[in-house]
Amino acid sequence: MSEVIVSAEHVGREFAMPAGPVIAVQDVTLSVTEGEYTAISGPSGCGKSTLLHMLGCVDTPSSGTLVFGGNDVSTLKDRARSLLRLRQIGFVFQRFYLLPMLTAAENVELPQAEAGTGKDERRRRSLELLEYVGLAHRADHRPSQLSGGEMQRVAIARALANRPRLLLADEPTGELDQATSEQVALLLDRVNADGTALVIVTHDPDLAGRSRRVLTMRDGRIEREVNR
Amino acid sequence: MNALACSWRSLVRQPARTALGVIGVAAVGALLFDMLLLSEGLMISTRNMLESMDFDIRVTSTDQMPGRGPDIVDGPAAAALVATLPSVSSVITLRREDARINQGDSRPAFGSVVGVGGGFGRPWTVLRGTDVAGDQEIVINEFASQVTGAELGASITVRARCADGATSPPPMDLRVTGIAEFTFDILGESSVGMTDISLADACGTPGAIPADFLMVKSGGDPAGAAADIDALSPALLASTNDEAIGQLQQRGFTYFRQISTVLTTITVAFALLLITVLLTVSVNQRLGEVAALRALGFSQGRVVLDVLWESVLIVGLGGVLSLPLGALMAVWLDSILKRMPRIPADLHFFVFQPEAIWIHGVLLAVTALTAAIYPMLIVARLPIATTLRNEVVG
Repeated sequence: MSEVIVSAEHVGREFAMPAGPVIAVQDVTLSVTEGEYTAISGPSGCGKSTLLHMLGCVDTPSSGTLVFGGNDVSTLKDRARSLLRLRQIGFVFQRFYLLPMLTAAENVELPQAEAGTGKDERRRRSLELLEYVGLAHRADHRPSQLSGGEMQRVAIARALANRPRLLLADEPTGELDQATSEQVALLLDRVNADGTALVIVTHDPDLAGRSRRVLTMRDGRIEREVNR
Repeated sequence: MNALACSWRSLVRQPARTALGVIGVAAVGALLFDMLLLSEGLMISTRNMLESMDFDIRVTSTDQMPGRGPDIVDGPAAAALVATLPSVSSVITLRREDARINQGDSRPAFGSVVGVGGGFGRPWTVLRGTDVAGDQEIVINEFASQVTGAELGASITVRARCADGATSPPPMDLRVTGIAEFTFDILGESSVGMTDISLADACGTPGAIPADFLMVKSGGDPAGAAADIDALSPALLASTNDEAIGQLQQRGFTYFRQISTVLTTITVAFALLLITVLLTVSVNQRLGEVAALRALGFSQGRVVLDVLWESVLIVGLGGVLSLPLGALMAVWLDSILKRMPRIPADLHFFVFQPEAIWIHGVLLAVTALTAAIYPMLIVARLPIATTLRNEVVG
């Protein structure tokens, strides 16, 4: 049986707003195991991204328990959660968030540098990852010189830089056209096939359909779970 | 890539903003540097002038500044009395009056005449010719020579206007034996040096030889000699160079220090606001990037360090540029201030001291750190998930 990477037990997330508290996620229980591919879909505002952020330890539940790699996330200090994200989690964002002043290779090197990887090893790994995402020839290009699809592929390479156990992607094709989305989707398939657990939040039914498990959320709850 | 390299790239990425910050800091830093030079400049310059005269004590009749209070009524007698002290090496009397000089029908030159009596040492340095040796001889400064056309050996007419002299003192014809540089020469004014007896004659009061003050050279212990002089007669008040500088600081020079302090505070505050605003705007434009880096595992300390380095780089670059800029401005401002009437040519308002460099550096470093506090707090307290969500919604 595959090892559980992260598990959520009855987690909820409530935001204090001037007009009163808003419940973004309520009573969600799920776990993500090694090598699995899960898609979370649902209408806007249903709590998909909030759940993803909690699974990625950038947000903490207001209620319930979230355990990542055997550690109760709510007990971890900011520094420990940063280290956990750095070494075990990769993030891919809808808006890429590559640093515009760095080249593609340098963007991929950045998380490795933060993790203390040596310069030569960083460079080697960055080129290897850019090769993996099909952008070795773009290693010295800045984000402004790349297309949207290329930027997202570099962002995926960056997310994989420290060999994470879990890759989280929030609308990874949200800003891409259909053809480019297909390239990114294929790349994500490959990442998962190579052993990295993947959780994606998406509106795109085609992308969601590529996963082995689809969770559909509504009003902060998991309304339906389909396993294939 | 470390925080410094990232910050540097970040600055290069926004050249207009960076240039604005660096130029702003350079301008403010230059003003700051000048204020530091001004705060002590006049005092250091005055000290240098006093010490260049090889006398270390001034004796007056009151606690007024030399030349401002009542004269010592009998200068030679007072000098002779002081000279009897074993702690005193040499004493001269010094009296300064206004004068007009001309050579024949030449254009007149206006300025001052200094009468000196007593022992060794003069408040002037002979550049050409010889010093005054008798009562019919004078030395004049270059300006007086140029205006009147008088050279060595020429006879010039001196018309003194003395505070305690005759209403219409007679003009005196005296021979120029030397061209001299006077310690307290004033730009654009003539200076004439003669004996105290000649000046008394020129003032139309040949029997009385008062002195504005005595200049005394101690035997090596100015404080001890000054105490001996004070004890010698209640009519004589001695002050060493240090005490004279202290008096100047308390009276006239405090204004410069106050102005300098006020302007320094304003310039530092301006630099602080400038850098804080620039960094805050920059950080606010990059909140999504910062949140993404945090999500990728960058520590709070690391993203805060990025902001701090940006501040340090902007202030550092601006600070380095501010030094030559400040030096140029100091020369320019000094020349403007020296156009004020009756400012000695050798007196400077802006005087470089090595301490000014490190004080300047420390003030700018504190400014860089302080200016970065608010933007660093923004970054440190950034809610990662909320920012990422807002960026997408926005």
